[in-house]
Amino acid sequence: MAERTVVSPVWLGMEQQRWRRLTSTWMMVMLLLFPILLLLGAFMRIVQANLLPTLLPEWFYAVMTLHGLGMVGTWFVGAMAAVSYILTQYVRPSRKVSWTALGATLLGVVLLLATTLVGRFGVGWYFLYPLPFYPAGIWPTWATWAFLFSLAILGVGWTIWAVDLLRAIAQHYSLRAALAWHYIRGETEPEIPPAVLITTVSLISALSGFLAAVIILVLSFLEWAGTGFTNDALLMKNLIFFFGHVLVNITMYLGVVLVYDVLPRYSGRPWKTNRIVAIAWNTVLFLVLFAYFHHLYMDFVQPQWMQVLGQVASYLISVPAAVVTIFSTLLLVYGASMRWTLSSLLMYLGVMGWAIGGVAAVIDSTIAVNLRFHNTLWVPAHFHTYYLMGVVLMLLGFAAHFGLEVSERPENGRLAKLIAALFVIGGYGFLSMFYVGGAHSVPRRYAVYPQEVMQGVDYARIALGFIAVLFLGVLLYLWETGRRCALAFRTSESS
Amino acid sequence: MRPCLSHIGVILRIALSTAALLASPGAMAQIVGEKADSPPNEGRYLYKPVPDILVHSWPEEAVRLSELWRERPILLTLIFTRCAGVCSPLLRSLKAAIASIGGAGREYTLVVLSFDARDTPSDMAGLAEHLELSKDRAWIFGVASAEDIARLVRATGFWFEWEEASRQYDHPAMVIGIREGRIVRFLIGGTVSPVRVQEVVREMRGEFVPAYPLPRRNVLFRCFQYDPTSGRWRPDWGFLLLLIPGTMTILGTVWIFRRERKHRAWEDRESS
Ligand code: HEM
Ligand SMILES: [Cu+2]
Repeated sequence: MAERTVVSPVWLGMEQQRWRRLTSTWMMVMLLLFPILLLLGAFMRIVQANLLPTLLPEWFYAVMTLHGLGMVGTWFVGAMAAVSYILTQYVRPSRKVSWTALGATLLGVVLLLATTLVGRFGVGWYFLYPLPFYPAGIWPTWATWAFLFSLAILGVGWTIWAVDLLRAIAQHYSLRAALAWHYIRGETEPEIPPAVLITTVSLISALSGFLAAVIILVLSFLEWAGTGFTNDALLMKNLIFFFGHVLVNITMYLGVVLVYDVLPRYSGRPWKTNRIVAIAWNTVLFLVLFAYFHHLYMDFVQPQWMQVLGQVASYLISVPAAVVTIFSTLLLVYGASMRWTLSSLLMYLGVMGWAIGGVAAVIDSTIAVNLRFHNTLWVPAHFHTYYLMGVVLMLLGFAAHFGLEVSERPENGRLAKLIAALFVIGGYGFLSMFYVGGAHSVPRRYAVYPQEVMQGVDYARIALGFIAVLFLGVLLYLWETGRRCALAFRTSESS
Repeated sequence: MRPCLSHIGVILRIALSTAALLASPGAMAQIVGEKADSPPNEGRYLYKPVPDILVHSWPEEAVRLSELWRERPILLTLIFTRCAGVCSPLLRSLKAAIASIGGAGREYTLVVLSFDARDTPSDMAGLAEHLELSKDRAWIFGVASAEDIARLVRATGFWFEWEEASRQYDHPAMVIGIREGRIVRFLIGGTVSPVRVQEVVREMRGEFVPAYPLPRRNVLFRCFQYDPTSGRWRPDWGFLLLLIPGTMTILGTVWIFRRERKHRAWEDRESS
């Protein structure tokens, strides 16, 4: 993209330094949590491979909860931080709010660590009602409280953060402009960078998801405070997936913002908003509230029209946005004098991973297929694809770009290619074992596979080999980029 | 999503009888099974195998449960003939429910088994006579050995306890749906409604029964109200809660952008 003017000249000096410090802090938090959470994932595969036969299964579930929530949260905050940095080219978000969100995040993480690793709270990442209230003697009462409390802290911190980013956008663009409605009418003035459009769409969606979370928390506290009320399980499930689906989805979209903004710098061609891009992302905004119904296909009480709407919305929401992005990426790269650095390689791979995971997701969001694949390993297979090989690569790509830009240390091109290769082999190898498992009816969330699905044990063992390859890639990446982010932190101004 | 019956708040106990004159069978002054204040938790026993015990009925007939369930599903209930409490009303309401839904003997067999070691096949035949069911081939009234009863009780969550004061057994009232030797449903309580039996029968047939009423009250914001007689459900206002996040987001977003409009105008002037 042609370098756009920065918001104000002040920004170039102190402001820029401060944003660098803030962003490098966020990136270091993200890069620290990633390998730990990855090892927790490996731990689960070790349990499923029957390599720890004496371990109590509740540890599997506690680790699963921590890994799932930790990953979802880490990449969400990473994406928010990265997008904030990108947005500073166009608008002026508040650094203070971002630091506050960091504080809230760290506090939430500490509480989560305690609930899962000390309290053995093992309900899975979306804490489906009423499981948190039925510990079956596994976790103590305080663990449920601490969990709800940590969600409340994270929810408040992240909501304020999202509101602030929206506010920053609103200071510069009207709502109609930010949503690029004039592009749909065929006008191209004023110019709206894709980053602004997609971020606006994502943040509005995020707010609705957080509001759903607020309702969940209030209802949970009401039940728990001993008011004598119990909740309606179907309502809770609807709200939970409203929240969960939206959170995961917009993390993906925020990742795409990074690609739209960073990848053009390596291809030397601009990537502008156009009519199709505007239509695709407005479709996303319009349908984001309905796609989550695909999580409730097996809930027979849910009315038929909601299920149908869920399938239609799932297709319409993913296909246009993904197709537009993927084609644009290909066009951007095809025939361009692309500079293949660690950053551009990872971002490119990330878009492809999104495509592959997206296809797998659309397959699973088809009611007839979901009847077979529901709660098999196909589910972790598809979401690990668009996460691990999608949004994670986009964010790692961003961090590499950021580290390079700020530290101004040249990169080792061969190492970059080696890292990308290890990610592809390790990542897709690991994922393929999830897919094969799903296709062979291996259920998800089993610590110990029963006789009927013993094949799951072999898949878990093979997966471990690939995870090791991936982990090696991650270590090399951390050596390359982690160092640069740390350097960026040290050399930037403290605020 | 399947509601389970463990939440019934009512504790089913046998009404005490002052007229109980029978001698106490000393050896039985103990609890058989796992006594609980609440009825057996269906979830714990669902799809568990039922022991294949021998049922003796009158005159001199003995049949294995497996012979019965190989032919058709079984609705089994455990009672004792000298009961002054729930057994008799339970059987009467079961009989009435069965009569109203039909299909007995064709789609399922009913087994009424005594858990009281004092009961004999002829006592049971007397009970059948009394209920005007002795001619009905769909109903089997019988007894079993004490060991078999104990096995059955353990496998189904049933329990009974001799109470010296009332000279009666304390026990829950339940009907157990069995298909191919496995428990598919419990019906708990002294009165059996035809709709509920119908559900169990459909379930035993292998049909999928999507909903049955959840015996819990005080539910905040239900999505649906379920009407067991028609088997239909209609939206309740809990569903409206799902509209709140979307509506509030739209309002909130518009509010944010309006609030910052002044700022925008100022910026525009500055940059031009
Ligand atoms: C190499 C890296 C990773 C490994 C080895 C790994 C491994 C696993 C395993 C074994 C499970 C349990 C699967 C089951 O249900 O049986 C799981 C669940 C999960 N993982 Fe990962 N994972 C990795 C990366 C990620 C990433 C990047 C995310 C990003 C968000 C993620 C999010 C989740 C979530 C949300 C769950 C579901 C937890 C639940 O069911 O409550 N994982 N992972
Ligand atoms: Cu009785």
